[in-house]
Amino acid sequence: MKYPLAIALVFLGIVSSSLAQRARSPWADSVVRLDINRHQYNFFQPWARRVSASQKFGVVVGKREIVTTANLLFNHTLLRLQKGGRGQWYTGRITWIDYHANLALLTVDDAEFWEGLKPAKLASQVPDSGTVELVRWSSGRFEVRNLNLNRLQVRKGQLTFVDMLHLQLDSEINGVGWSEALTKGDEVIGLTISQSRNKCLAIPSSFIRSVLQAQSEGTYRGMGFFNFYWQQSENPTTLDFLDLTGPRRGVIVTEIPALPGDENTLKRNDILLSIDGFGIDTVGDYDDPQYGAMMLENLATRNHWAGDKIPMTIWREGAELELLYTLPKADFDMELIPTARYDVPPEYVMAGGLIFQPLTVPYLKSWGSDWQRRAPVRLIHYKGQPPTEERPRLVVLSTVLPDAYNIGYQSYRFVVVDKINGQRISEINQIQAALEQSSDGYHLIEFEQGEPVERIVLDAKRLGAATQRIMLRYGLAEAAVVND
Amino acid sequence: MKKLCLCFLLLSNHIQALPPEASVIQIVVFTQEPDWDEPWNSRPVSRSTGTGFVIEGNRIMTNAHVVTWAKQILVRRYQDSQPFQARVSHIGHDCDLAILEVDAPGFFDELPPLPLGTLPSVRSTVVTYGYPAGGEQISYTSGVVSRIELQSYTHPGNRRLLAVQTDAAINPGNSGGPVIQDGKVVGVSFQGIPGLENTGFFIPPPVFDHFLKDVEDGDYDGFPQAGVRMAPLQNPAERAYLKVPSQFEGARIDTLFSDSAKEHLKKDDVLLKVGPFPVARDGTILYEKNQLHAGLAFTLAQNGETVPVLLWRDGEEVMLNLPVWVNREDAAAGNSYHLPRYYVYAGMVFTPLTKDYLTTFGQNWSSVADTGILYELYYRKKSDPDNARPEPIMLAATLAHPVNANMRVRGRVMVDQINGKKIDRLEDAIDALENATTPFLNLRFIGSYGFETLHAEDAATANQSILNTYGVVNDRRL
Repeated sequence: MKYPLAIALVFLGIVSSSLAQRARSPWADSVVRLDINRHQYNFFQPWARRVSASQKFGVVVGKREIVTTANLLFNHTLLRLQKGGRGQWYTGRITWIDYHANLALLTVDDAEFWEGLKPAKLASQVPDSGTVELVRWSSGRFEVRNLNLNRLQVRKGQLTFVDMLHLQLDSEINGVGWSEALTKGDEVIGLTISQSRNKCLAIPSSFIRSVLQAQSEGTYRGMGFFNFYWQQSENPTTLDFLDLTGPRRGVIVTEIPALPGDENTLKRNDILLSIDGFGIDTVGDYDDPQYGAMMLENLATRNHWAGDKIPMTIWREGAELELLYTLPKADFDMELIPTARYDVPPEYVMAGGLIFQPLTVPYLKSWGSDWQRRAPVRLIHYKGQPPTEERPRLVVLSTVLPDAYNIGYQSYRFVVVDKINGQRISEINQIQAALEQSSDGYHLIEFEQGEPVERIVLDAKRLGAATQRIMLRYGLAEAAVVND
Repeated sequence: MKKLCLCFLLLSNHIQALPPEASVIQIVVFTQEPDWDEPWNSRPVSRSTGTGFVIEGNRIMTNAHVVTWAKQILVRRYQDSQPFQARVSHIGHDCDLAILEVDAPGFFDELPPLPLGTLPSVRSTVVTYGYPAGGEQISYTSGVVSRIELQSYTHPGNRRLLAVQTDAAINPGNSGGPVIQDGKVVGVSFQGIPGLENTGFFIPPPVFDHFLKDVEDGDYDGFPQAGVRMAPLQNPAERAYLKVPSQFEGARIDTLFSDSAKEHLKKDDVLLKVGPFPVARDGTILYEKNQLHAGLAFTLAQNGETVPVLLWRDGEEVMLNLPVWVNREDAAAGNSYHLPRYYVYAGMVFTPLTKDYLTTFGQNWSSVADTGILYELYYRKKSDPDNARPEPIMLAATLAHPVNANMRVRGRVMVDQINGKKIDRLEDAIDALENATTPFLNLRFIGSYGFETLHAEDAATANQSILNTYGVVNDRRL
């Protein structure tokens, strides 16, 4: 009788050792879960704050250092981390974040958290095809799934207007895009950022590695970008028109948006022949030594940061010309309608029930995911306009909280402000000062030409009392939120 | 003799007793719409039906949309199988009304004109007569007048005129039919709102009377407008700022659009009265017991007439006569019902930017069209009049040929310049292309589309052969 029992024990032993082996994926000691509580704002009611909770992943990359994507970290109120896929959560904090690069470094002060965790290695060169593994914690288990890497692609970053390199993968897995690590062999090759149907995008480790290295060495100056638009020159007559001699090559600069501080001397109709030593072909690609044909925008972020000077060869007026292009620093405040503003609550000024707000892309996104179709065309039109010195940004009368004080104006919404009491309004922080300059007891609020109304008048003497009353009635804790 | 007289009397009685349907006409129309993508072509012929009714002067009144783009109009009398050919004598697209005439002698014999009535009151009962879809016989529906308001007229697309809402069913085919009350026409059925049940709309007497008076001189002009935007003047601070005495009502003139308004009116004039109608603080007037937008009062005048207005200006009352004119500036933003202007050169098809053109982008054209183009069509003239072009020109398409085959931008873009010349209207494009003296034709587009270039000589050489290949008989319609 003892013999069969012994066999059974041996059998059980084998099974349990196989389970143990599977649980010991080396990545399990490097991948952690993040739990983020953050403010979620409704720009149609900018004073209302809701809290939302999200979960994503991070990868240990150094001593007490975790890297993750910057997405979902903005406006956070509490950040916690968990190792091993279960058990205790530890409070964490952000030590560095860059929304244009979409990267953040986190740490946990409790030494216990770091016990058993091991830094992962970030690949300096990523593959451009083949099968890779996605690793993450899922319901307390460590999950390793295969994905097919399609291609490398230069496209706009998730949180910015800057173009940069991305990995594109086929994925049959649900719910990918929360900064899960992609691995190949013993290296991390990227962090996922999004999923749309069965396509998944990720930031390549080569990029992460170079940003983190520059950041640790103190040489990271933020993301730079090319401040010009160009067109392909596949129609050879366009190059003939510009008197290009020799082989047909290069792309044509079509527009250089006005940008304060940009002293680059590119002109419309310049042909870009080479950038940073790489020849540009007629579709706008260069031959990347690591990844083959890549769109020229990648040359602004490929081991370069804001302020770097990049040599360019251009064709202008029948001759080649060498110049150094200084990469402007990506900054949301340089846009007439800023793409984003992170880690600040939405700004507004409520005066006598009139809600004034800066016109920003997050505001326009209140119209939903297809905001570019659904928001008023008048407002969308400004998105493509460059800022000017006298009009760097725009403020809208967003809505009116009805009260006897503002009777007659309740239906005005989404109207771009021109002047208040004769003073030009471009920034939300100019409103309160302008309202201190009433003329003969009235506040005159003028709107841009072509808006649904040109001017309204408020009683200056009763403004303060009306604002107080409306705050109470509509539950506003503050009459204005204006960031420095 | 006696027998004959009796017969005559019977016949005469029969005419006298003819119900309104005897004068209700079924209209069968064969239409052919132009093709704005390939403006030298037309779309396939299609058949549709509508209704009309006989009015004084041997004329048939119907809706403009019933006979728009008609190639052949056939009319059929009540319980008469013979069709007669009709033609449009006047058409008013802004008010969606048209008058047809029939040349066949005797057509109107025994068809008494229907008498025209006045604006029916709310809650009164009306009966519609027409030939709606679902059968061949005349159909009647009855309902009450639900409300009377300024409504957007779907046919022009950018006009609001008086309309009456009823719960009597008004369906396709009813269009142009009379709405009868006490034996008189009190409306012309014209539109419904998809998805809204028990609502049909008809054009009331003030609108069709205006139309009939307008065409008395042989030409149709349309409904004039004040050329201003009014804003409510309800806020006590704003009233005090404009020093309007408390016993006065009135609305504020916020924006001046038309030349006439700019000449005679000022911003911040307070409109106290238009014609006989006092204007309330919310910008409405009381018209036939209905509180309606004061803009209505200007449309009651004929084109070029003056409307007396009482204003409060700079602290005193001012009375003046405001000449009012039909707005023709916004024709491109509505449905203009003119054959599209176009010009084809070296395979490039140029046509003005109009709403009709944009509808070729598909049913969801307003979502598909570039917002920059929508801005150009609908907003630029108001928000940036100095840079607005009289007639923005689109490169609609490019008919492929080796001479243009390398062009990357091939259509659905607005032309900014050709050979450095700003393109304000179609004639500018023709002039720039036909009189080019440079070896290249350079076309620059609006937005992020950059430019395209062709060899001028090659383009000129290939031009005729491209027209032949694609069957473009006329290279232009101006």
